[in-house]
Amino acid sequence: MNETDNNNFDDELMAAAAELATEVTPDRDLWPGIEQALPHPGRPARTVWNSTWAQAAAVLLLVGGSSGVTYLAITEDLSPLPPVAGGPTLVFEPVSGSFGSMYNLGPDYQDARRSLAAKVDEELGRLTAEERNEVQKNIDVIRAAIEEINKALAAEPDNALLQKLLLSTYRDELGLMMRVDKITSAAMRRGDI
Amino acid sequence: MGRCVGQYQERHLLKREMMKTFALALLGIFSATTVVATEINESMDAAADGTVSISNISGSVEVQGWSRNQVEITGNLGSGVEQLIFERDGDEIEIKVKTRRGNSRDTKSDLVVKVPLASSLEVNTVSADIDVAELTGEQSLESVSGDIATQAFGSDIDINSVSGDLEVEGDDQAMRSMLSSVSGDIDTENLAGEIRVESVSGDLVVVNGVFDRVSMDTVNGDIVFHAQLLNDGRLDVETVNGSVDIEFAGEVSARFDIETFNGDIRNCFGPKAVRVSEYGPGYELKFTEGSGSGRVTIETLNGDLRLCK
Repeated sequence: MNETDNNNFDDELMAAAAELATEVTPDRDLWPGIEQALPHPGRPARTVWNSTWAQAAAVLLLVGGSSGVTYLAITEDLSPLPPVAGGPTLVFEPVSGSFGSMYNLGPDYQDARRSLAAKVDEELGRLTAEERNEVQKNIDVIRAAIEEINKALAAEPDNALLQKLLLSTYRDELGLMMRVDKITSAAMRRGDI
Repeated sequence: MGRCVGQYQERHLLKREMMKTFALALLGIFSATTVVATEINESMDAAADGTVSISNISGSVEVQGWSRNQVEITGNLGSGVEQLIFERDGDEIEIKVKTRRGNSRDTKSDLVVKVPLASSLEVNTVSADIDVAELTGEQSLESVSGDIATQAFGSDIDINSVSGDLEVEGDDQAMRSMLSSVSGDIDTENLAGEIRVESVSGDLVVVNGVFDRVSMDTVNGDIVFHAQLLNDGRLDVETVNGSVDIEFAGEVSARFDIETFNGDIRNCFGPKAVRVSEYGPGYELKFTEGSGSGRVTIETLNGDLRLCK
């Protein structure tokens, strides 16, 4: 609906409202009832009790309602699932420039990595934000290490130590994911968390 | 005027009564939701060398071996716990603290479990600490964030955590130890046989003990190995940024192959480290000690090395 449609609708509504009767005559005389309901100086203050009982009833309703909700929350399976831990989705992207940009990581490795990353990410969503952050922090540690080795490797592409450390650190990354997957999936197989 | 005062007093009293009622009602609600731990004390017969598996979310799990062929559980369950499952199926006993599905409130339960000495043990927790003592059977212990401490007496152990620290104390009997964490520190003392220790940022410490195969691998953690490497033994150490401190207990007979890209090497064995290339920062140290029957390899990117005996 655009602005013109809105204006048309408003005009029609105003026209229809203008056709409505501006005065409504009640079917019967309501004044005696109204007059009885008004406070009269000198009469016993019976309305105090009425209002008190109304307040008490309201309190009881509130208390009863709260208790009922509490009871249901405790006894029934109505409580919400634990909140998915906050924070951004974990980043499991391979670090670019691997092996000083001389070689690429193989497709099998990439597949295994992607599949593990998806699984771990899903399971981590059920842990606390603190635990999830801890894992993310360590993934960052590994990525920083990979980047650092890659930089060194770019300067010395034939350095066997660097090549070995790089492979090993990629393996550490997979190892971390597998470890976290193993531990969390064992915990989450419980079915009650 | 007197009537007005009377009405005021009447209203005031009524309000006080209502406030009392309301406060009592609130107290009632609060009591209904207050954490109430349930004490437990259950036991059942068990096989002398069966398997006991324990699963608890938060709180603690303390396991002790004893001479009876019985499993006993004491402790308390959090108010968010639906049920304590304690079942036997053949030689396997399962203990599981089951919470109401999706209930994250007060699931904290503290269990003290006594099991037959030779039982195999499997414990799995989320944040609950695990503490095992005087158990001679195999152990598989896992926790996401809880700390794990155990004693090992010659049977294989497999212990893993994400952020919890690991502490293992052995009695110098040969066995296979697989220990890993992501950020938790790992400390072992008096283990023997084969050991593999891994972390990303946690420190790895292996002190005392006699080994024929050792693997220590971390990205940012420091590594300490102060123990004996047997003849024909193998020690592999690798870290990207952590420092390495190796001190052999007793004689060592091995070929050493040590390399660091950007760290320093301090060596008590005699040979000096040499630069790998004229232009690069790396150092390399290769030598043979004794008959050279064993093998020691140490590799770091930035970590400094200390190698002594």
